[in-house]
Amino acid sequence: MTALTYEKIDDAVINTLSPPGKGYWVTIGLLFLGILMGAGCWLYQILLGIGVAGQNNPVHWGTYLINFVFWVGIAHSGTLISAILHLFRAGWRNPIARAAETMTVFAVCTAGLYPFIHLGRVWMVFYMLPFPNQRFLWPNFQSPLMFDVVAISTYLTVSSLFWYTGMLPDLAIIRDRAQGVRRRIFSVLAMGWTGEFEQWRHYARGYLFFAALATPLVISVHSVVSWDFALGVVPGWHTTIFAPYFVAGAIHSGLAMVVTLMIPLRKIFNLQEIITMKVLEQVAKTIVFTGLIVGFAYSTEVFIAWYSHNSVEMETFRWRAFGDYALEYWIMVVCNTVFPLFFLFKKVRTRILWLMVICILVNVGMWYERFVIIIGSVAHDFLPYAWGLYRPTLVEFGIMIGSFCLFFFLFLLFVKHMPSVSMTEMKETVHAGGAHDH
Amino acid sequence: MDRRTFLKITGLGSAAVAAGCTSNPEKNLFTLVHAPDDMVSGQATWYASTCRECPAGCGVLAKNREGRVIKLEGNSLNPINRGKLCVRGQAALQGLYNPDRLTTCLRKTDNGLEPISFPDAEKLVRQHLERSAARGPDGIAMVTEVSGDTLLDLFRSVLSQYGSGKLRIYEPFAFESLKYAHQQVYGKACLPGFRLDRSDLLIGFGADFLETWLSPVEYARQFKTMHAVDRGKKGFFAHVSPYQSLTGLNADQWLACRPGSELSVALLLLNQMIQSGKARRLSAGFKSGIEALTSAYTFESVSVETGIAAGDLERLVQRVRSASRPLLLGSGSACQGTMDAALDLAVVILNTLDDPTLSLIDFDQRHRVEIADSRLAMETFWGRCMDSPPGLLMLHNVNPLYSASPQSKVAGALGAKETFVVAFSCYMDETAAAADLIIPIQHPLESWDVYESKQATKAIVQPVMGKFTPVAAIGDFFLKLMPEGQRPSGDYRKYMIRQLVDQGLIGTEDDWTKMMQDGGRFVADRQVSKPVLKLDRKLAAELTRRVQAVAAPDPETLNIYLAPSLRHLDGRGANRPWLSEIPDPVSLVSWQTLAWVHPDVMAANHWVDGDRVDIKTDHGEIQLPVVAYGGLDAKAIVIPMGQGHARFGRYARGRGANPVKLAGAETEPRSGAPVCRVAVRSISGAGKRQILASVSGSLDQHHRKIALTASLKSISEPEEAGNGLAMNDFPFTLPLPQGYDHHRDIYPAHEHDTYRWGMVVDLDRCIGCSACVAACYAENNVGIAGEKQIAKGREMAWIRIERYHDQDDPAKSIFLPMMCQHCDNAPCESVCPVYAPHHSKEGLNNQIYNRCIGTRFCAQNCPYKVRRFNWYDWKWPEPLQMQLNPNVTVRSKGVMEKCSFCVQRIKAAHDEAKNEKRSIRDGEVIPACVQTCPTNALYFGNLMDPDSAVRKLMNGPRAYQVMGYLNTKPAVIYLKKVVQTL
Repeated sequence: MTALTYEKIDDAVINTLSPPGKGYWVTIGLLFLGILMGAGCWLYQILLGIGVAGQNNPVHWGTYLINFVFWVGIAHSGTLISAILHLFRAGWRNPIARAAETMTVFAVCTAGLYPFIHLGRVWMVFYMLPFPNQRFLWPNFQSPLMFDVVAISTYLTVSSLFWYTGMLPDLAIIRDRAQGVRRRIFSVLAMGWTGEFEQWRHYARGYLFFAALATPLVISVHSVVSWDFALGVVPGWHTTIFAPYFVAGAIHSGLAMVVTLMIPLRKIFNLQEIITMKVLEQVAKTIVFTGLIVGFAYSTEVFIAWYSHNSVEMETFRWRAFGDYALEYWIMVVCNTVFPLFFLFKKVRTRILWLMVICILVNVGMWYERFVIIIGSVAHDFLPYAWGLYRPTLVEFGIMIGSFCLFFFLFLLFVKHMPSVSMTEMKETVHAGGAHDH
Repeated sequence: MDRRTFLKITGLGSAAVAAGCTSNPEKNLFTLVHAPDDMVSGQATWYASTCRECPAGCGVLAKNREGRVIKLEGNSLNPINRGKLCVRGQAALQGLYNPDRLTTCLRKTDNGLEPISFPDAEKLVRQHLERSAARGPDGIAMVTEVSGDTLLDLFRSVLSQYGSGKLRIYEPFAFESLKYAHQQVYGKACLPGFRLDRSDLLIGFGADFLETWLSPVEYARQFKTMHAVDRGKKGFFAHVSPYQSLTGLNADQWLACRPGSELSVALLLLNQMIQSGKARRLSAGFKSGIEALTSAYTFESVSVETGIAAGDLERLVQRVRSASRPLLLGSGSACQGTMDAALDLAVVILNTLDDPTLSLIDFDQRHRVEIADSRLAMETFWGRCMDSPPGLLMLHNVNPLYSASPQSKVAGALGAKETFVVAFSCYMDETAAAADLIIPIQHPLESWDVYESKQATKAIVQPVMGKFTPVAAIGDFFLKLMPEGQRPSGDYRKYMIRQLVDQGLIGTEDDWTKMMQDGGRFVADRQVSKPVLKLDRKLAAELTRRVQAVAAPDPETLNIYLAPSLRHLDGRGANRPWLSEIPDPVSLVSWQTLAWVHPDVMAANHWVDGDRVDIKTDHGEIQLPVVAYGGLDAKAIVIPMGQGHARFGRYARGRGANPVKLAGAETEPRSGAPVCRVAVRSISGAGKRQILASVSGSLDQHHRKIALTASLKSISEPEEAGNGLAMNDFPFTLPLPQGYDHHRDIYPAHEHDTYRWGMVVDLDRCIGCSACVAACYAENNVGIAGEKQIAKGREMAWIRIERYHDQDDPAKSIFLPMMCQHCDNAPCESVCPVYAPHHSKEGLNNQIYNRCIGTRFCAQNCPYKVRRFNWYDWKWPEPLQMQLNPNVTVRSKGVMEKCSFCVQRIKAAHDEAKNEKRSIRDGEVIPACVQTCPTNALYFGNLMDPDSAVRKLMNGPRAYQVMGYLNTKPAVIYLKKVVQTL
């Protein structure tokens, strides 16, 4: 492998911004149609009522909240990679930090739509805002859903700012090479970056502080999301393990999503030299670790249910594993804890195909984890008379497909118009030959 | 422009704008904008009338708000129902406001049905009357439902004016075998009242007296008078039947016998009684006759034949011997064939032996349904109509084309070319559809009449609201048919009052007003002569003949039982959406007709719930889904009647299946009853599965302390209250400050303002009849979700009747009314981001619809799963919306709702108390469910008042809270059901 130079990095990255071909626009167009379809489904639901989705009594929460938690989870490893690994000085995160960060921002945006889609009366959603009013009606800050509003909006704000701050020097590089309208746009976006020493000093400090600020958010946001469940009385939800369990799960799914996105990205943009196999291998190793945590959490849940001697808990976990949703449960267990273990073998984790397949399986498994938790608890909770099952409807699938389209739509627009690899951070690692572990 | 002109123009302008802004009529909450002078807006006017949903004839009070009747409640002055109503009575409003009611006369022509005017219809009927009169005494025929004497007399006089003979009275359940047995023993084919309340032991042989048998509200009340635990005592009820109906599920012991073997148990009892001291004064001929007949029935032989353990039979006999006032009830509303005549005769003889003074039989209060013709008589009549068709056949509110076997001659009679058939009906049912002329008539809630619910009763039927359809009352129509000259002056109401005057029931205007206000004239406890019993050789011989006529039951044949439905009765309730929406309390499935099949049979055929099967008998075949039901003999299949209509409006047409299609037209030979037990020729899976509109998840309580039972002994020795945190030692925690303890609670107790509303549910009294559910639908504008939505788990009921198996004895069922528990520590309140569920100062868990944004977190977090989400905007097709209670918001899509403890009634009580400057009295607030409960299983009151009825009730050892260990501190306190064994 030829050594990376500053110029090579700039060229490689800026090449990704060259005018896209027909295939790109067709894909963008199809994704946009997908978004329209999802929006149409949502409109239909608003006009007719939540009944067009599959929720019922007792399963009042369905795929909308599954997807919400799923996308919030995806959002996590972006910040983990860009912030936590930055603080730990893990150099291998530099080539993928920008893409991961981008994934975070767009995943939070996608996730953020779901609570709105979920609401029975979305047109009344402003009741959740603490605005002054004649009747002194105030939102209930005791409700985990209010925690959510605060946590998710904070996370979106911080991660967007962190993302944008990190991009400033790169935007300036593009501005310097661009002409015409593009130059003007990037001039605005680069906010007058000149590369002066003072600017670099502020930038480095600011980036570090943002990383420090974002780090607790990685933990807190998904902890808060987990409290949507853990603060309920429902068996299968009401447990103290939920916060760490959700955070680990979120990172697990996020890392898998990073690999899922990086592999096509480096292939299409010929970034093999920047996003090296070694980088992917490091991510795969981390997935083994998070997979083990998740597996530990699964077994702890089952153990505690047995250990508690609480017949309701015991029945919930027996039913999860052997009841109506047993298939979903075992998909979850196998995809999230067994398949990642294959990454223990170097041959597996250095083969692009295996990396891709297993990471997609982990994503599937993590989706089912949310299904098992959200559906599999209330469908079979305290009152046996009220037990029931849930099945998503076409409208829900439409909205789900629409949300995936939205995410990829935004992501594709980004990678073709913005620097998807941080040139600045890559250059920081050039002295060690690109991505490396110290 | 001067000032006055300006004001005029502005005034006119705004008035014009206001007038232009018309809204949809159904959105008007207030109908009588130009109200009568004595009407106070917002205050209800109550009219006393009589329920005509079945022949029992309970008294109703109809609540009229701004000109519309919105709710029916029982008339407490009426001795039959004493202020209570059953599920069908509550739903009578949906008969009145049914969107498929007929409003124009329809004449059948070659081009289909053609609307004609009422005068034309009348002219047509008169023409046919005159024309047919010429054909002789059989030229005109008429069939009516069971009606009051006044109306029947009018029919008869019209018929006799045209030289016609007899008026037929058709009732699908006419209790022929019971009448036959009474004829034999009492000398009169009557249906006297039973005094269940005075007995201490009940043995039923199928009599479904909690559902459809004679007078269910009355008997439900009487049953619980003897059967609810009272000062450590409780009557005993054993049910001998091949299947558990709702009544059977309420028995202390169900003695499951093989199909057709009930008779043997009765004969065994007879044998034992004859041998006991009770037979001392009997005539020798009778005694020897009975002995000869029954001596073969020993414990062992009967045990072998019926499948009931010999020990149980011995204990049963012991019970009868030791009881001081035992009462036996014979067969159910639906006749099972030849056995029923013998069975009912044996049971009536047994009652006579046990109670020679007939103290438990009330010959003064005879049930009105006794005037109905037997099915045999009806079949003979239809046959005659076929052989020599009358020129005119008039049908009043009967639907024999639906309720009689397809082999019945009724179809031929109605189809005869020479016969002009006129149907007087509120709805386009199967029979009306076959008529040549359909004349819509007023619903009983719109018309005047007198109905003799019981021999001693003159119940007034009066319009409970203004006329809202152009149709006439049948009485008025028939008055017009009287020939000129003989025609009494005035309308039917005048005619009726005149009759009452002639009968000496009323003398003055005041008498009439009083009678009208009371809902009738009710006489009780009159001394009437008891019949002279004819316990002689002839009777013994008759019983012997009847027993010999019964073919020995074939233990290999599968039997279909056509069961009268608690909700639809014979089928007349099927067009009332509430009655289909409210699940059957036994199968817990709504909207659909199911075949209840024994779990072993299901397993042997590899069927699961919802598999459709083809059932064939010698008479017909139907296809319907099966459901496993443990309360059956393996050779019995039960199919509830009432659905599977070919016509009868949008809520009935094409829904479910009609099992009557499986029955033949032949009747039980001696009594003339239709046979509702049919041998199955073949039953096979149709290879299709239907999603059941089931509302229940599991009948097993999974040891979660939901529906608890206690033994008679245990309730006298209260158990130690626990004080721990686990399921088994969690204490009883009142939703009051004393229910809080810093070991268990982080937050302090709520401070309630004078009142903390709560409810007590006595499981020992609940029979699962679902009347409360219907009352709640009516009072609280609960939406009708429909079959598809319920199949998805989206029923909207605020109160529901859960059925659970007893933890200790899964053969026993417990009915548990479940509604919002109004917890003090409510899981729903803390999770809502916008405070839509809100704890009121009086302890109510209020749901603020306007504030709700539909996160549905509250419903997820509710351990009792009583919160209901509005998945759609529910529809009330016109004019059903006229029934909506203006005091309760109609919820729109996207908001959560649930039981409010009828907060509108609490508010009304507050207003009243405030006006009178006092606090609300105990018992002043009565929620709709509590109001209608026929067995007084529900109580409502202020928990903060130590002298309130609810507080006193919950002090006993039976009190507990459903899943109280969750520390939700529910304000609904349940009292354990007291179970006994034989």
